[in-house]
Amino acid sequence: MARPALRKVDRPEEGGPRLAHLDRDRRLVEAAQADPARFEALYRKYLAQVYSYAFYELRDHHEAEDATERTFLAALTGLGRFEERARPADGEGASTFRVWLFQIARNAVAERRRRRRRRPEAPLEAAASVAAPLDLEADATLRDEAGAALRAVARLPGDRRRALILRFVDEMSTAEIAGVLGRSEGAVRVLIHRALRSVARDLDDASR
Amino acid sequence: VTDGFAGRDGHEVDALVTDRYLEALLAAHARGADRSPATTEPSPLIRLAADRLARDLPRLHPSFLFEEALAARLAEVAARLRLLAAAGAEGLVVPLTSRAPDAALTGVDGAPTGDPATDDRPDVARPGLGRPLLIGGALTSAALSLAGAAYVAWRRNRPPDSAMVRAARAVARTRSA
Repeated sequence: MARPALRKVDRPEEGGPRLAHLDRDRRLVEAAQADPARFEALYRKYLAQVYSYAFYELRDHHEAEDATERTFLAALTGLGRFEERARPADGEGASTFRVWLFQIARNAVAERRRRRRRRPEAPLEAAASVAAPLDLEADATLRDEAGAALRAVARLPGDRRRALILRFVDEMSTAEIAGVLGRSEGAVRVLIHRALRSVARDLDDASR
Repeated sequence: VTDGFAGRDGHEVDALVTDRYLEALLAAHARGADRSPATTEPSPLIRLAADRLARDLPRLHPSFLFEEALAARLAEVAARLRLLAAAGAEGLVVPLTSRAPDAALTGVDGAPTGDPATDDRPDVARPGLGRPLLIGGALTSAALSLAGAAYVAWRRNRPPDSAMVRAARAVARTRSA
């Protein structure tokens, strides 16, 4: 059962403190826990975010789709075990569900990577396809600057790259990223700062 | 050094300054602003990199076909989960609400709930009974109602097909001895 997560909000003009739910997805999550058919609202809301994250990590359309599918299936079947853990420090509108979902996505992506390492050869259907449905870097070369930004992010090591993607593409807060990566907020801030410094140097070199 | 920076080392302060800039930058983008926040911190190189990433990193969406196929698959799984939940609920003990003996053994209008002569359901707690039958406590209680006594008598005369009946008979034998 979800643990109540409430915060005190001071609104003197409304007659003093009141309690507000922290997780913006709380109602959707509770509805889906009561009736799994209502999970669809959460699925539609977060599909693009999860897919984006998986694509930036795996850089392959089919693998990103596979990781996305595994993520949502695992989330649906495990939703009964999800517990809201939002804290006041997470801020208004923080979503612990989104953090939980992205933890699943992170595992799904890691699983795809492991499989890729075990079986590095390209599958037959990939070899047979004339062109990948989406080639981000090829599209991005149309805009030189975008291509340079993508390459600079792709060159970053694991968690620095993940932190930047979650910050800029999925627009997560530092607290949410900390939850997904299993690090402290301070560590995530430093991670992002250092990642930006690397990207800045890369972009500076590319422009010369 | 401004508020919130006390006790932090140089890296943490720089990281915090960058974090605040990113907050302002991404909020401006969300509002549709075409200009970056006017500030002198963090360094121009960091600001330029952040501005480029906020502007140039595309958000992606899978194909419509994939979206609908996965939606259908999730709907199937959801339907299966509902079935499983429904099947699982049959095996659960129904919570018993009333604790008054009379209310436990009779309905609202005072009539016994269910017909003991035709009721051959197994010995499970039933909502109409109010609470599980505690054999020892029920027979020694001075507040035992007529309906309760009738019920226990009926239990004694039933074939010994369950532990509950055997226990009721054993208690009755003890009392008559």
